[in-house]
Amino acid sequence: MPLIIDRTPVAEDKWITPAEDQAIPADGAIILPLAQWLENRDALAGREIGVQVNGDDDLDQVLALNGQVELIAVEFPAFTDGRGFSIARLLRRAGYKGQLRAVGDVTQDRLAHMERCGFDALQVPEDRFKPEVLNAFDEMSVRYQGGASVTRPAYPQS
Amino acid sequence: MYQYTEVDQKLVDERVAQYRDQTRRYLAGELPDEEFRALRLMNGLYIQRQAPMLRVAVPYGLMSSNQLRKLAHIARTYDKGYGHFTTRTNIQYNWPTLESVPDILAELAQVQMHAIQTSGNCIRNTTTDPYAGVIASELEDPRPWCEIIRQWSTLHPEFAYLPRKFKIAVTGGPEDRAASQVHDIGLHLVKNDAGETGFEVLVGGGLGRTPVIGKQINPFLAPQDLLSYLEAIIRVYNLNGRRDNKYKARIKILVNAMGIDAFREQVEAEWADIRESDLRLSQGEIEKVKAQFAPPAYEADATNNDLHAQLTENEEFRVWFERNTVQHKVAGYRIVVVSLKPYLKAPGDITDIQMEAVADLADRFSFGEIRATHHQNLVLADVKQGDLLEVWKILHANNLARPNIGTLTDMIVCPGFDFCGLANAKTLNIAEQINEKFENVDYMHDIGEIRLNMSGCINACAHHHVGHIGILGVDKKGEDWYQFTLGGSSEADAALGKSIGKAIAADEVANTIEKILLAYIDQRDSEAESFLEVVRRVGVEPFKEAVYAADH
Repeated sequence: MPLIIDRTPVAEDKWITPAEDQAIPADGAIILPLAQWLENRDALAGREIGVQVNGDDDLDQVLALNGQVELIAVEFPAFTDGRGFSIARLLRRAGYKGQLRAVGDVTQDRLAHMERCGFDALQVPEDRFKPEVLNAFDEMSVRYQGGASVTRPAYPQS
Repeated sequence: MYQYTEVDQKLVDERVAQYRDQTRRYLAGELPDEEFRALRLMNGLYIQRQAPMLRVAVPYGLMSSNQLRKLAHIARTYDKGYGHFTTRTNIQYNWPTLESVPDILAELAQVQMHAIQTSGNCIRNTTTDPYAGVIASELEDPRPWCEIIRQWSTLHPEFAYLPRKFKIAVTGGPEDRAASQVHDIGLHLVKNDAGETGFEVLVGGGLGRTPVIGKQINPFLAPQDLLSYLEAIIRVYNLNGRRDNKYKARIKILVNAMGIDAFREQVEAEWADIRESDLRLSQGEIEKVKAQFAPPAYEADATNNDLHAQLTENEEFRVWFERNTVQHKVAGYRIVVVSLKPYLKAPGDITDIQMEAVADLADRFSFGEIRATHHQNLVLADVKQGDLLEVWKILHANNLARPNIGTLTDMIVCPGFDFCGLANAKTLNIAEQINEKFENVDYMHDIGEIRLNMSGCINACAHHHVGHIGILGVDKKGEDWYQFTLGGSSEADAALGKSIGKAIAADEVANTIEKILLAYIDQRDSEAESFLEVVRRVGVEPFKEAVYAADH
C-alpha cells in the first residue's frame, strides 16, 4: 500500500500490521491495535512497537502512548469520520515526536488537512494512489489557522 | 466592510482551482460518488429535484453593491434569472449545471465571494444582526467578531469532517435578530459587572427533528479568548459527537446526553490547555478587524429634510415607512428593509433586475452596502431620511416595497417540494394561498407583528418551531398535510411553539390561519397585546377550539 512520508512516497516500510486473526510475529517491527498492545505490552518489551488507534478508543489511553511507542497509526474508518484529525492534534500537543501515520480511508482530498493536524506518514489505499495525489499538499498555499507545526494564524500576518 | 487581503484573495482563488480539479476527477470517474458528495457539499453544491443547487456564502449577510451585481450576473448567466436568499443569509441558485459550478466560483472569487462551507458537516456561515452597527440598543458591532470567526473557521483542517453541520450566530445587544438561541453556538456580546464587554456563550441549540433552545455554557468569555473557547467546544464535539446516526449527530444531542455541566467540564479542561496559545487574539488584531467596520461618513445635516411633509402627503409612502423602515442610531438616517416577500412570489426570491436595482440604490443612498436578513429580506442600513421617498419609489417600481415587514405575509419559507430533494410537502403553493387570502383583509392592519415560518419537512430550514405561527408540511399517503404550532420565537424570548393538534389539509391552511388570527383578536386585552403575548398568556387551548370547533 503506497506510503507517503513527509510528502514523499517511500518504497520500504519496515512496519508490519498483522491481520486480526494472525498471531503476533516473533520478530520485526509490528503495529498492533491498542487493546492488543495493552494486553501484551510486558511480553513485547524491547520490541519495535507501533500502536493503531481510532476514535472509539479511550482518549486518555491513546495520549498515554506518548513516549511508550515508536509509531502511532490513527485509523480513519471512513472518510467522513473526522475524529482522527483531533486525535493527531492532541498527540502532537502532548509532545509526541514519533511517526504519526494515517491509515484507513486516507485519500487525496484529506491529505493536506492530515498533514496540518500533525500526520507525517500517510498510507493511501493502492486503488486510490496516483502520483498526482501529491499535488494535494500544494493546492492551498495560505491558511487562516494554526496547525500542529505552525501555530500562528494568518490574520495577524496580513 | 471587510476588504480582502492578498491572503484572503489567494485562498478563494486556490479553492476555486482545487474544486475545479475535484469536479474534473469526479466527471472522469476518479472520485467515488459518496466522496465527491462530501466535497461538493463543502462547496455549497447540492443535487436537487430539478437540478443542482448552489449556495453562495454571504458572510454574516453583508454585501457590497459590486458583489450583489455579480450575484445578479450569475443569476442571469448560469441560472434562470433569479436567486433565493436563505435564513443563513446566503443566496441559492436553483438551476446551475454541475459542470458550470467551477466557472461560477471563479466569477465569485473576482468579487471576494465563494461558496466555501455553505453546506456539509463543517462550520457554516456565521450569522448576525442585519441591523449591526446601526441600531441604538447595540452594545458593540458584532461583525468584526463574525469576520474573525469566518477566518478561523474557513478551511479549518481539524473541523472539516465534524459529526454534523455546525452553525454559529453572534448578537451585539439585547435584541436577537439572528435566532442565536437555536444555533449550535450562540454568542451574545454582554457587559460583566466590571463593565467589560465579552461574550455570553450558549451551546447546543438547534431545530430539525429535535428542537432545543441553547444552554448557557459560559456567562462571560473575555473577547481575546473567543477562538480558543470555540476551538475547545468544537474539539470536544468532534471527538464525542455521535457518528452512527445523522439525526442524533448535532451537538445539541451530545450536550443533552452528557448534561450541560459535564459538557462544560470537558470543554473547560480542553480550554485550559489552549487558552494561552496563539489562538489568543491580541488587542492589535482585534482593532485591525474592527477598523474595517468603522461607521461610514454620516452627514451632520441629514436631519434637514422634507420627510414629515412627504409622509403626510403620500399615504402609501407613509404605510411603507411605518412598516418597512426602522429607527437608525444616527439622527437623520433610517434603516430600510427591502421586502423580498412580494405578492404571489416565492419568499426570499429575487430577480437579477431587482438585484441590480438594489445595488444601484445602495450606491446612491446607502454607502454601497447591502445586508441580507435571517427573515429572507434585504436591508439598506444607512439611508438619509430625505432620500427615503426616492428610495421607496424605486423599490416600489421594482416590486420590492410591499409594506409587510414583520407581518403575516413576511413569511420565512423554504423552497419545499418544488425544488428540494429532502422536502415532504410543498410550501410555495401554500405561501400563495396565504397571500391570496390575506391580501385584502382589513383586520390585517391592526394585527401587529406576527411571524409565520413554514418548512416543507422536519429538517426545519424555515425554522417553523420558532415561528409565532409555525407550519410543518408532512406527507400522508401521498398528500400534503400541514401541522401547526403556536407561540414559538427566535428572538431574545426564544421559545419552541406548541402543537395545536392534528395536521390540516392543504386547502385549509389559510382558513386555519384566519381562525387563529380571529381567535387572537377575540382573546387580546387590547391592540397593544401582540399575538405572541396572547398565546403565552392564554395557552393554545382557545386556538385549538377555534381551529377544530367544527369537528366537535
